[in-house]
Amino acid sequence: MEDPHLQDIELFQKHVANSFSDLISSHSDEETHDVTPLLSASWLRQLLDTFLCCDAEFKAIILCGRDPTQFSKPPLDRLIPDHLDRYVKALDVCNAITHGIDLLINWKRLAQVVVTSLSQKPVGEGQIRRAKKALNTLLASMNLDDKEYSGGSFHGKSTERSKSLGRRVTGPGNFRSLSCTVAKSWSAAKQIQAMSANISQPRWGEANGPATVVFIMNTVIVFVMWVLVAAIPCQERTGLTTHFQVPRNLSWTQNIIGLQEKIGDEWKKKEKKGGSGLLQEVVKMEKVANSLMEFCENFVFPLEEENAGELEAQVEEIADVCRKMEEGLEPLRRQIREVFHRMVRSRAEVLETVEQIGKQSAPVPY
Amino acid sequence: MGGISVIKTLIEEEAELIVNLEQIIRSLESNKRLGSGSRKMIANLGSRLINIAISSEVISPEVDEIEHQLSMIEAEIKSFDLEEPSTIWDSGSEEAYAFLKAVEEAGRLTKILESRNSSRKDDALLHRAHDLLQRGMAGLEQEFRRLLLQNWEPNMEEETSFQSNDEDNADERSITWIRDSFEEVEQGDISFHESVDCAIDLPQEVILFLKNIANLMYRSNYGHECFHVFVNARKDVLDECLSSLDIEKLSMEDVSRMNWKLLNKKINKWLRAIKPFVEGYLVSEKSLADQIFGEIDSVSSTCFFECSRASLYALINFSDAMVISPRQPEKLISILDMYEALSNVIPQLATLYSDDGLCITKECEDALRRLGDCAWATFVEFRGAVALHSYANNGDGGVNPLTKYVMNYLRVLADSRKTFDELMMELGHESSATVSPRISPQRELEVHVDEESYTTPTQRHFRSIVTMLEWNLNEKSKLYKDESLQHIFLMNNIQYMTQKVKDSDLRTILGDEWIKKHNGMVQHHAMRYQNVTWSSILAFLRDEGINNPAINFASRNLIKERLRGFYLAFDKVYQTQTRWIIPNEGLREDLRLSISSTVHHAYRSFERYFQYIREKHIKYTLEELEGYLSELFEGAQASLHGSLKK
Repeated sequence: MEDPHLQDIELFQKHVANSFSDLISSHSDEETHDVTPLLSASWLRQLLDTFLCCDAEFKAIILCGRDPTQFSKPPLDRLIPDHLDRYVKALDVCNAITHGIDLLINWKRLAQVVVTSLSQKPVGEGQIRRAKKALNTLLASMNLDDKEYSGGSFHGKSTERSKSLGRRVTGPGNFRSLSCTVAKSWSAAKQIQAMSANISQPRWGEANGPATVVFIMNTVIVFVMWVLVAAIPCQERTGLTTHFQVPRNLSWTQNIIGLQEKIGDEWKKKEKKGGSGLLQEVVKMEKVANSLMEFCENFVFPLEEENAGELEAQVEEIADVCRKMEEGLEPLRRQIREVFHRMVRSRAEVLETVEQIGKQSAPVPY
Repeated sequence: MGGISVIKTLIEEEAELIVNLEQIIRSLESNKRLGSGSRKMIANLGSRLINIAISSEVISPEVDEIEHQLSMIEAEIKSFDLEEPSTIWDSGSEEAYAFLKAVEEAGRLTKILESRNSSRKDDALLHRAHDLLQRGMAGLEQEFRRLLLQNWEPNMEEETSFQSNDEDNADERSITWIRDSFEEVEQGDISFHESVDCAIDLPQEVILFLKNIANLMYRSNYGHECFHVFVNARKDVLDECLSSLDIEKLSMEDVSRMNWKLLNKKINKWLRAIKPFVEGYLVSEKSLADQIFGEIDSVSSTCFFECSRASLYALINFSDAMVISPRQPEKLISILDMYEALSNVIPQLATLYSDDGLCITKECEDALRRLGDCAWATFVEFRGAVALHSYANNGDGGVNPLTKYVMNYLRVLADSRKTFDELMMELGHESSATVSPRISPQRELEVHVDEESYTTPTQRHFRSIVTMLEWNLNEKSKLYKDESLQHIFLMNNIQYMTQKVKDSDLRTILGDEWIKKHNGMVQHHAMRYQNVTWSSILAFLRDEGINNPAINFASRNLIKERLRGFYLAFDKVYQTQTRWIIPNEGLREDLRLSISSTVHHAYRSFERYFQYIREKHIKYTLEELEGYLSELFEGAQASLHGSLKK
């Protein structure tokens, strides 16, 4: 049963394979210039670009010039609604990620305080205390368990605004509970798991048809969301790596699997230490922050010459991370919003095409 | 000799005095909280000491002056216990500003010391100055946060009244889907809570104090902390504002699966919340940010953007959740309401986010467009349902549920006609040119015929919907095998439509011409019915062929035959058509009357032949016939007026 779009389908597979190959090589150490480190903000943006391209190609193959009656017959009659449902779940992941990025921007600001205070010469107790205060808040927030990242100050939260003399709890834990739009019971890991369920690999007879196209797109979207969740802190991510298996026997999945393994390994290493995520800039920031914290705790006035050099280097390092985050996070946030909107639109377009098939009886809810 | 010893004693005494003074100072330092009176006295003392110092030539003015000033600053700063929940502001505005001044002084001194050629003494002083500055700033930061988070007015509690009294009225504008027990719900108003004061509750003098803190923090390179505290604090506040407006966090998935009744409630909450949120809370937040950061370049708009973004997204995401939820025609009215509400606040949003936040305004505009597209798609869905719905006819020829649904739907939709018009013009769907592909071109033509008389999109689209309904009804009528019933059916349904139009706003939309035309159609079907059913029956009572029955045996037979045929046919009609229904009382009576009078006329005329036949052939009197006729179209409730005679 050959699909007239067979050529398109093969091209699609090739494009996917190539795009992910680019993603792998863009961070490889062999390049000496313009290395985009894996899981850095700019690498993630590249990943999202890849996703948007795949989505566009997918829509073209599925919608253009296709006999509309195919949508009411197997396999598309089952695959399409399932696919659309997966998109809805992805929308929620995008929202969680957007708020995760807000958290990262907060961390960046705290790091900037550290930079400002420790750049002031001569370094005295005042500056150290100032830096320590910011580092404390920063590290506490980074080490917070995902489970404690419960919803913001909506119904029934403990930090009630009370009258006159009242105050909110302003401990470090509070910085996780930034206003976010995620319900208390929502879990990123469970969401990814739900998304990866039922991505049925096409059976033998369907391999050259639209079922393959849908399968590719499903795999891509779940992978992309999985990467985002691993990189950026969001609610409840325990057990992330176990939830998603990509079939090994297909040509175009090799690069994806490669990335998945690499990222999965990193995730396993970090999992026990708390949930600041794998974003490359954040990993770096955490490392320097910890080191600076140690420095601050052992500080004795006045600062020795040899230590001064060391301090300056680390301050410069964290300042550099701040700069990268300053440049990278806002565009990333905007792009996630764009992906969100694109998925809403894609969903509407597919739905419209399918609905035009003309239902003889009552509308079928999708 | 005595003179020198006097001086020596004086110096010793002085030294002793100074030592004592030092002790006093130390003990005062360790006193965690000094009353304001005491502090005033100390300050006084301090300046007097300085004057003494200045007037003596022994002490070098500069360094020591700085040292003294630092001591005073230290005293001031340490007079507030910054570890405990500090209440700088609550100690009174004078004290608060004194504290602020002290910190400012510390900053100034650090700058002075930094610019000097450093000596060791200077370094120590600089260290101390920085130390004091940091302590002061930490205190200010804390106070800044506390004041921003504090609940200044009790109206937060009153706002819980938002939590709906209207829980029960929530589906007041909904029409339950045809599948459920069919209910017409009266339209009501969604009350908008504009009376609640959604403005900043910080008193003016507090804002001024905060402004001074902000200015100082930015001047002294503590801008990052200031920004950070502000954004996080006000973000929390806005979160609570949303919460007080009864907006919950719902995932896209939740919304897309929600049942209509619950979803309708959430939509109503959203509709009630969006205006007060944007025009109340957001406007006052912007104003607060402007007042506090007004003198610091570009910080104000960035602050506002960052702290309001998340809660605004929460509102906008809900509208997108609506867009992706399954298309159901009953959602159309809610979507139009949301469209209207959102488009009403966009100008305000554009003003609020004119610098940094342009992207937010664009996002809202895009969300609006998507809502509009969704509204159109839902309308198309509705239209499709009208054309294709295959709801079975009732056996009694009564009003089809589809007719009721469509007319009631249009009646309620008419309320939103202004928004509907605007939206259709925006989307370029002013005329109903794009009719469902399932309808034949001929029918399409008929739809367009009187479009010239309809000017607004609402008129045109409604016209096309009712035409489609008529077409569907025509098709449905063909499912009845009995032609009479077909006409009864059409008569009933068109009459229902016409009545609905007459009795509501639809009158102004579809127009009197339409009503007239359809009244005509009702009459037409009534006449056709009469023709089809009764002409053949009454034909039995014709005179033809009856010649001279007095003597003509054949004619007498004919009379008997005709009468028998008439009675058979009549009985049949009676048995069948009493179970038919004409719900509209006036129509029913009119038709019965009409039938009755024709039957009466024909039977009475035939009665002159009765003398020629035996009584046993005469089954019914005229009165009895009329009695039976009065039972026609009773419907299922028909209780037969005695059973028919055998």
